Amino acid sequence: MAKTYDYLFKLLLIGDSGVGKTCILFRFSEDAFNTTFISTIGIDFKIRTIELDNKKIKLQIWDTAGQERFRTITTAYYRGAMGIMLVYDITLEKSFENIKNWIRNIEENAAADVEKMLLGNKCELNDKRQVSKERGEQLAIEYGIKFMETSAKASINVEEAFLTLASDIKAKTEKRMEANNPPKGGHQLKLTESRTKDSWLSRCSLL
Amino acid sequence: MTEVANIEQQIVNNKNKTNVRCQFCNSLMLKAQEGSYCQQEIDVPLMMQKQDRGADALNTETLSHFWMIADMMTFENIGFSHTVDGRKFLVCADCERGPVGYHEISSKRCYLALERVVHKDD
Repeated sequence: MAKTYDYLFKLLLIGDSGVGKTCILFRFSEDAFNTTFISTIGIDFKIRTIELDNKKIKLQIWDTAGQERFRTITTAYYRGAMGIMLVYDITLEKSFENIKNWIRNIEENAAADVEKMLLGNKCELNDKRQVSKERGEQLAIEYGIKFMETSAKASINVEEAFLTLASDIKAKTEKRMEANNPPKGGHQLKLTESRTKDSWLSRCSLL
Repeated sequence: MTEVANIEQQIVNNKNKTNVRCQFCNSLMLKAQEGSYCQQEIDVPLMMQKQDRGADALNTETLSHFWMIADMMTFENIGFSHTVDGRKFLVCADCERGPVGYHEISSKRCYLALERVVHKDD
């Protein structure tokens, strides 16, 4: 069967517990008598489809599923990852300090050329802020990666962050492909349907 | 939700005639023509479980109509649960409600239950 997409990128969300990598609590309207089956077993990964420069890109996005609590994120989890969102909570100093540890963990376990991006999440909680935007920017500069403040809850910058990361991976991939196979002239035209207006990334979840 | 009585009109040449979407939030799960109709009787956990059920009792119902998707990357947007007894359950990638079907680890196939989704292009 012909592939219906141009690229497939595996992305990971990394960061301390509770920084809002998932904000499951806001998603279910739990009532007193019922509990959802899915909230009990938890979600492993998601497949998302985006479009960039007329290329259809499938994102497979993995959450750490609480493994981060035990600092047991190992090589197996990072295998094949092309992009990593490093997430901290702007209202939790500790989660920001731990980003350095996460970066070390990535350096030890992930592919050397994995694309990284830093996200300061929960930026809707400005009155409880412990980490200034400047410090986030500074840390990102230090590691030579991109930075954004996001709010999964208020849908601020989440979509932009994923598009940015995907776009950087795409650029890197295409550059590598070009180096391997110089273009012979002419280009492929392909019809693809534009993304739905009601974008998945505008919802209350980093996933 | 797509009622059993309306299932036949969703199938054209054994494929899904229209896009397949979440019944709660309209998230696009599968594009038209990407799933193959398949009839089989499978017990699928209910979306809402009764809280007073026993610890290991699971409220399920038997579903018979599925779209079979051979490659999980065919989906536009979908979530996968953790593995339970060789299966992962499929959920809406946006609102996370489900299960809307399951993924069989051994065959790598996905089965989307027609009765747990809606069929419409927009």
